[in-house]
Amino acid sequence: MSWGDVGAGALRAAFPLALWGVVAATQAAWRRDGRFLASARMTAIATLALVTVASLAMVGALVSHDFSLHYVAENNARETPTYFSAISLWAALEGSILLWTTILAGAVVYVAWRGTRELPRLATTALALLFAMLSFFLLLVVTPAADPFVRLDAVPLNGRGPNPLLQDHWLMGLHPPLLYLGYVLFSIPFAYAMASLILGEGGDRWMVATRRSALVAWALLGIGIVAGGWWSYNVLGWGGYWAWDPVENAAIMPWLAATAYLHSVMVEEKRRMLRTWNLALVIGTFALTILGTFLTRSGVVNSVHSFSQSAIGPLLLGYLAAVLALSVGLLLWRSARLADSGPVAPISREAVFLFQNVLFVAVTLTVLLGTLYPLAVEALSGDQVSIGSPYFDRVAVPLGLALLFLMGVGPQLPWHGASRATLERQFAAPVVTSGALALVALVVGVRGTAAVLAFALAGFVCATVAQELARGIRARGTLHGESATTAFANLFKRSGRRYGGYVVHVGVAVIALAIAMSQAQAVQAEATLGPGGTMEVAGRTVVFEGLRDVVEPRRTQVVADLRVIDGGGSAPLVAALSYYPNATGAIGSPGIRSSATEDVYAILAAYDGRSRAWATIQIRIIPLVSWLWIGGAIVGIGALIAALPAARARERLVAATVPAGAGAE
Amino acid sequence: MALLPSDEVVTVVPAPSRGAQLVRLAVIVTLTGLVAVLALGFRRDPQDIRTGTVGQAAPAFDLERLDQPGRLRLADMAGKVVVVNFFASWCIPCKQEAPALVRAWERYRNSDVIFVGIVYQDSPDAAIAFHERMGQTWPIGFDDPGRTALRFGVFGIPETYFIGKNGVIEGRHIGAIDEATLIRAIDTLRDKQ
Amino acid sequence: MRPRVAIALGTAALAVSIAVTALPRAEPQEDRVERISTELRCPVCQGLSVADSPSDMAREMRGLVRQRVAEGRTDDEIRAEFRQAYGDWILLSPPLLDARGAVWAIPPLAVIAGGVLVARRLRREAAAPVMVTPAQHAAIERRVLEEALAE
Repeated sequence: MSWGDVGAGALRAAFPLALWGVVAATQAAWRRDGRFLASARMTAIATLALVTVASLAMVGALVSHDFSLHYVAENNARETPTYFSAISLWAALEGSILLWTTILAGAVVYVAWRGTRELPRLATTALALLFAMLSFFLLLVVTPAADPFVRLDAVPLNGRGPNPLLQDHWLMGLHPPLLYLGYVLFSIPFAYAMASLILGEGGDRWMVATRRSALVAWALLGIGIVAGGWWSYNVLGWGGYWAWDPVENAAIMPWLAATAYLHSVMVEEKRRMLRTWNLALVIGTFALTILGTFLTRSGVVNSVHSFSQSAIGPLLLGYLAAVLALSVGLLLWRSARLADSGPVAPISREAVFLFQNVLFVAVTLTVLLGTLYPLAVEALSGDQVSIGSPYFDRVAVPLGLALLFLMGVGPQLPWHGASRATLERQFAAPVVTSGALALVALVVGVRGTAAVLAFALAGFVCATVAQELARGIRARGTLHGESATTAFANLFKRSGRRYGGYVVHVGVAVIALAIAMSQAQAVQAEATLGPGGTMEVAGRTVVFEGLRDVVEPRRTQVVADLRVIDGGGSAPLVAALSYYPNATGAIGSPGIRSSATEDVYAILAAYDGRSRAWATIQIRIIPLVSWLWIGGAIVGIGALIAALPAARARERLVAATVPAGAGAE
Repeated sequence: MALLPSDEVVTVVPAPSRGAQLVRLAVIVTLTGLVAVLALGFRRDPQDIRTGTVGQAAPAFDLERLDQPGRLRLADMAGKVVVVNFFASWCIPCKQEAPALVRAWERYRNSDVIFVGIVYQDSPDAAIAFHERMGQTWPIGFDDPGRTALRFGVFGIPETYFIGKNGVIEGRHIGAIDEATLIRAIDTLRDKQ
Repeated sequence: MRPRVAIALGTAALAVSIAVTALPRAEPQEDRVERISTELRCPVCQGLSVADSPSDMAREMRGLVRQRVAEGRTDDEIRAEFRQAYGDWILLSPPLLDARGAVWAIPPLAVIAGGVLVARRLRREAAAPVMVTPAQHAAIERRVLEEALAE
């Protein structure tokens, strides 16, 4: 039996099972019949097992170069190294949908076994919806729309090999799965929210129950986006990491909407407000994940990433339309039950959250509008226009700076409003820090208004976090008599959601600073040099030592050997152009020397094709750019702290047994 | 029958608020519009970029000739139908379209139709070798450093422009061209006064 | 230092820094080339600007921009030259004063509309003055501390 038989068989068995899952979970929720729930649970396990087998079969076919499968012949070659063969599971449409289906099956199992224990009725209803989504994706992979196991009658001797851009860097093994995990895990909050609407609940149990999955999905999507930027920086060879490409936009839109959601849930928890709004944000986030898939996979937009065009476009659009119609319909139908009101003090944490939500939604809408505007103009007038980074930068930078400001202000404000004296006490240190950092920025030579503001606001945010930590440590010292270090550790252990959130804030401030500096203060130079020739860039000398030809089985490379000489000594640097048999143009492999303060980024722009006598070298000095990836890691760590279960309940109990007033002065 | 425990909560339904109708309408209209725009996107080919120099006077060029000594000037071709083909030896679709160009050239070479090749970002030697290997005998000019292509609005080669007797660009084709398309375009221009 | 004084000083430092960055500066020619190139779309790339793209064609286009800048052409003239050959497609952001400039108006309108919606709900919460006994005061202090640690 071949890999193809195993995979195709497993998927074809999984599809009816998922359909049965819909029926069983619906029956279980409707009749409150535990036998149906037990059946749905077993179905979930069986479906996950089958799609996992199918995914592994595809990986097996790729690694063993089984070119009898169309997918393998298109996306693999004998020369492809094993690592890149294995990760070619997500190199093209069909495999990506298979991976998506597998993750979704995992989410179904999670809800079937964990979720239904906590909230039987709500989670079982959500389970039925998740089974329905899973059925849709299984439908895609068992029909020609995205069947990964289509066979070839004439088996070629060798395949075409993966897209060269996708076999150039190990990060390709990380970036797409993280994005897909993030995308798919948003299905859980969405399914719970819809279940809550279907059952006519007016409360926020759905939200509390899915807090952790929303946070984890958000974090994975965010880290996936940063990893994508890092990949693009390392592979696309233009010294940038973000181009406002339609597919990059597709990934950032759900992330932005989810960020708004993660904050506004706190308002609902504390103040019982914004119920309709939070449901709308969950629907929006989920719809944007489907829109993202649609944009990547349908070929309606021109992008580095849309390497596939297939019949899947109309199906995904139909899915999006159905999801929107059902979820928005449900929300409008039930909205009367969700009405909430109550005053919001102008200077209070909830007010900041509301304005923060407005800004996040405005950024999301801007990105959505900018991405679809050329489509809309062409549909209406036939004219072809472009929307690119000048537009997005000009709109997103002021909104982003405003968000950075609110990110510092929010945690410093109490719920329900604050007095003037509190405000002055809370903001003295952060404002001084931000003023000082603005001056520092000027002194080190930063001249752009936005960059100086980014400096000041990043300092503002970090100062507020430091102040909050200090306050927390003092409070624990008073309440529990802990030493400063114990108190510090316990803040993260016992109030992880709050202090993990602050760590995320620091990560975002670091990212903002890295973006501002790498965009505003980068320096570049270009020169055409003969062997031994030198060029000067920002106080450094770059020596071009010569060109080499490197022939590998899967590609040939022209490599420029460079040497960078600065105050600290000299170091070799290698920039190359790679030629793959299945690509028309050269793929640039930039040479990057990273340090904490700046990166030296070298591009081989052109060379003498005949005698290798000269090369055009472009050097970019990009300050602080490595802090972008470090900031991404900090965000990830913060989210992890926030998502870990806290030992809170136990502590409450202990605290309650302490005699009243014991800790108070 | 094993009953699942109930976890329902009782909700009080308040009266629906006014103004909600308007919000509903706005939401529905916006979302319908969104889906409609996406659906219309299917009719669009992202590779087909129509804007450009069609309908405008062809930008004059004066290039070094590669197939023989001399200059290649658009001014010298006034009153003729001119087919301008941008190509390079490294371009794979240029190789694919070469036989169609040669057949069309044989068909019209003794009439009022001129074929011109413009070398785009290639070395002169490689371009001459390619030109001869493909059996092309029309004049080719060397566009260094690619300014002529920029003035014509070239997106990516191969690209073919059809210039009428009045010196106006009447049509353009992006990507490898076939013989039928060439003949149709040239005949239309020849009939046009 | 009293909080109010500290805030005043910090704000002043910030304001001075922003004012310095806002001072008009002479734009070096190469910066102008870079700025104009950022707004032109590279025809052979997918969505990259002429400034960002490492392709040969983008290099040529930067060369042409550099030449035009050196000749003393205005930004609009340089943009118009590319627009004539490539149409509106070449501009990565639509001109503000154009029929299609509407795309610029939507984000600020969204912020304003959202801001107005939120502002309409802003009201001070009614707080009745209460007398507090020392024991109650201790309890309140304790609650404040607990709240500092709460989610």
